[in-house]
Amino acid sequence: MKLNTMAGVMTFVSKIENDSASFYRNYAKNYPELESTFMSWNKENSKFEKNIKRTYFGVITDTLESNYAFQGLDTDDYNFETQLPENADSSEAAKKARDIEETIMNFYLKAAQLSDGLMADIPRLFRKIAKKREERCRSLESF
Amino acid sequence: MAARRLQNFINGEWIDASTDKFVEIINPARGTLLCEAPMSTKADVDAAVKAAQDAYPDWRNTPPVSRARYLHRLIELMEDNFNELSIVQTTEHGKTIDESRGETRRGIEMIEVASGIPSLMQGYNLEDIAHGIDEYAINQPLGVFCCIAPFNFPFMVPLWFLPFAIACGNTFVVKSSPRTPMSQVDLFKLLDEIDLPPGVVNLVNGANEAAEALMDNPQVKGVTFVGSTPVGRHIYRKCGETGKRVIVQAGAKNYVVIMPDAVLEEATMVSLLASFFGNAGQRCLSGTNLLVVGDDAAYKRFMDRFVEGASKINVGDGLDESVQMGPVQNAESKQRIIGVIEKGIAEGAKLTLDGRELNLVGDVPETCFLNPSIFENVTPDMSLAREEIFGPVASVVRAKDLDEAIDIIHDNPYGNASSIFTNNGKWSRQFQHDVNAGNIGINVGIVAPMSFFPFGGRKDSFFGTLHGQGRDVIRFFTDPKIVITRWF
Repeated sequence: MKLNTMAGVMTFVSKIENDSASFYRNYAKNYPELESTFMSWNKENSKFEKNIKRTYFGVITDTLESNYAFQGLDTDDYNFETQLPENADSSEAAKKARDIEETIMNFYLKAAQLSDGLMADIPRLFRKIAKKREERCRSLESF
Repeated sequence: MAARRLQNFINGEWIDASTDKFVEIINPARGTLLCEAPMSTKADVDAAVKAAQDAYPDWRNTPPVSRARYLHRLIELMEDNFNELSIVQTTEHGKTIDESRGETRRGIEMIEVASGIPSLMQGYNLEDIAHGIDEYAINQPLGVFCCIAPFNFPFMVPLWFLPFAIACGNTFVVKSSPRTPMSQVDLFKLLDEIDLPPGVVNLVNGANEAAEALMDNPQVKGVTFVGSTPVGRHIYRKCGETGKRVIVQAGAKNYVVIMPDAVLEEATMVSLLASFFGNAGQRCLSGTNLLVVGDDAAYKRFMDRFVEGASKINVGDGLDESVQMGPVQNAESKQRIIGVIEKGIAEGAKLTLDGRELNLVGDVPETCFLNPSIFENVTPDMSLAREEIFGPVASVVRAKDLDEAIDIIHDNPYGNASSIFTNNGKWSRQFQHDVNAGNIGINVGIVAPMSFFPFGGRKDSFFGTLHGQGRDVIRFFTDPKIVITRWF
């Protein structure tokens, strides 16, 4: 689905943050070595979503232009699976987590790039969260 | 099942209007009946004004800092209900949900600024104007004020005035738009929750009879109005006759000038599309006349991108998050705009993009929808260039240089806003200095009013002296009393 508007982007942000959070929540207990990381990321995701929404509602008056700010974003490019095969080991779980994080990072970077000329706070926050995602990916390499 | 009937809010109570006339409020995107609004009578208005007048003496004696605390509570409630308030605007008006959220935010910003009243309202003084004699000016409230609200920003526009008026110690009556009354009813539900003393704020739903009754009532000290120029002229004249203060923010026909050196980046195009087609063109700050300066090559380079961008705008129900432009507010508006398009064709303009050919997102009735239209070969004397359209129609006019562009702008009867897109500081400065409009944009498509600056146009776009918002509106809602003292 093509995303054009800020409202559409916000709904998609909620979806990817919630979907990835549920992945971490659902599988944390299965992998003791990943449990604390997954549980903290589950919590952090809801913080990201809340921060983005707060920023969005704070700068929404920019939206006279934000109806046109995201031309070229397609949710199909940022879909990810949140199911692991039965009996998957911790390295497979870590790899799946890395795929999810990379996909989300790419979404935020693209959305930030598209909206850069029109808004300040939103792309800045998107980049900040993309950086956190990059850090997550790096930390998963050790698993 | 009978439709919900809206009530008035008078003297702290929700009450039925004393009328048997009701108007159906229809969702323009879906064609569904939302509610019925009463067409309140003179008796309803007089009751609201009496309640406001009765509440005034105690309210004006309430310390400004205490009055501000009520506004703080209102802000909190509005933040808690942000999305619900926005959805109602989209449902009754048709604008996109992002546009409604923007309107809600702007409304809240008004209250935030007004809540600084202990500083904003301060007077001034001077010791020793003569030997041993001091003089000071105290800003005092005046009494009952009112707002006659427009349909296009049904939530925000009364907030250009109400929070400032009551923060200053006045009391207030809002007459909502008969086309989009629900947003004000929802706002007043929140005002009800903050427990202001009864009568400080009052809401009357109605049309002409209610508006006339407000202007006729001798207890009303001032009227604020946002709407069309013919109605604005009538209100200005009538308020003059009855000795009321008045702010009339009227119609517009805003020019946007594209100079040959304008940076045609994506951001510029987006800014222009938002200016011409945001809110389906139903904004007094919308760009409506695009004045392109330069040779044929520059003109073609610009127009190709503008037309392509406009043709790709998603039109549909504003609650659909993929939609970038909603319907116009009712079926009569659509028919009126189609009439304007037909007249433009008859006058010889070239209809490059025909918004009558509908391309809509989703399964919506066509009744109130138009896609963006763009006319080329428009000359300044054509009705397309001179008359307010209030719809998603852009008229493209050409000029050989900036001097000619400014002459064309000045030939127009309106003076609300004008913008220029250029990278040339000298041209920008000349434009800012010379153009006779209340609001100037430089590389900005919409000169959006901010709560901390005054907002008002010139020529046929504004009648009055002081503007809405900013420091002007504090002066409008207060009168300086001069005190000269000597003690023996």
